[in-house]
Amino acid sequence: MRIWLIFIGCGLVTYFSRGSFILFGDRVKLPETIQRSLAYVAPATFAAIMVPAVLGNEGLASLVPPTPEVGAILIAALAVWKTRNMAIALAIGMVSLWLLQWLGL
Amino acid sequence: MPEPSTTPPDDLSFEKRWFRHGILSGLPLAAPGLPFGFVVGFLVDETASINNLAGWASGFIVFAGSSQLAAVELLADDASALVVIFTVFLINSRHIMYSAAMNPRLTGAPTWFRVLGSYLLIDQAFALAENQPEDMALRDRIWSFLGTGATFWVIWIAAVTLGVVVGNVIPEEWSLTFSVPILFMGLMVLSIKNQPGVIAAIIGGCVAYVTRDFPQGTGLLLAIACGVTGGTLAETRLESAEETAETT
Repeated sequence: MRIWLIFIGCGLVTYFSRGSFILFGDRVKLPETIQRSLAYVAPATFAAIMVPAVLGNEGLASLVPPTPEVGAILIAALAVWKTRNMAIALAIGMVSLWLLQWLGL
Repeated sequence: MPEPSTTPPDDLSFEKRWFRHGILSGLPLAAPGLPFGFVVGFLVDETASINNLAGWASGFIVFAGSSQLAAVELLADDASALVVIFTVFLINSRHIMYSAAMNPRLTGAPTWFRVLGSYLLIDQAFALAENQPEDMALRDRIWSFLGTGATFWVIWIAAVTLGVVVGNVIPEEWSLTFSVPILFMGLMVLSIKNQPGVIAAIIGGCVAYVTRDFPQGTGLLLAIACGVTGGTLAETRLESAEETAETT
């Protein structure tokens, strides 16, 4: 029972975070400056989630020489930048990772 | 992209073409959810203190991958209920900013959509919605969002179910979960629309790395705050520089 209540609690805090503004509809209006700054939430957040996941336990040491993960993520970044297509970027990124791991680079 | 709807603005009835568009554009972003949800599932199965049914149900009760992973790991370490819920809140509080950023695009949206949309506003759904043109018809926006949301939901629940039922059968050497950082790299690149966006990403990434050992996801929050501030300041500076260039 305790586990269920914990997960329901987790679900509620998550739902109301997501709904914090949307649920209140057109009644809430943020100041212009804040609304403009929210345009940078996406790049800042996605980078903040991605970077520690790629560098892993080795940290900055995984940059020189680059680990297969670092190499693959850079290739995937180039792919998505050029094609704007996530499916292609995912495929190229994963294949590069396997190749780099296999080559022992 | 399908043709925009030409119906009156208050007609929000089901729009199949945009629903399908939402599914198709959501699929590649949802694919990394497969190995990721699978990992959440088999960790639930391996954690003695979580009963499998509750752990499985958390897939749709919480419906947020990284925070579910954190919750399972904390419960495996016998963390208190409050610590688990608070950690999940901190990890997911970035969605407050997604919600604020999305809201102006939903002007005029009905309550049923706001209630359902709040449940489905995950990272990828937000990223896709942010990339849509600002003048898009509300009807098209709503149905493509729901198409994307439904796709993520089905894939996520299927993956968690599979993980709970069959357990850890994918060899770790396949590194399938690396598709998750690739996904976020892709979302980052697609979300960058100008120079200040690049600055926001660089600052966010660097601060997140430096603060990676901060407790309960506080490092992530700090990184987002710094990145957003940096991007905004850069935008202001760039604008005033352009104004000076115009006046001289």
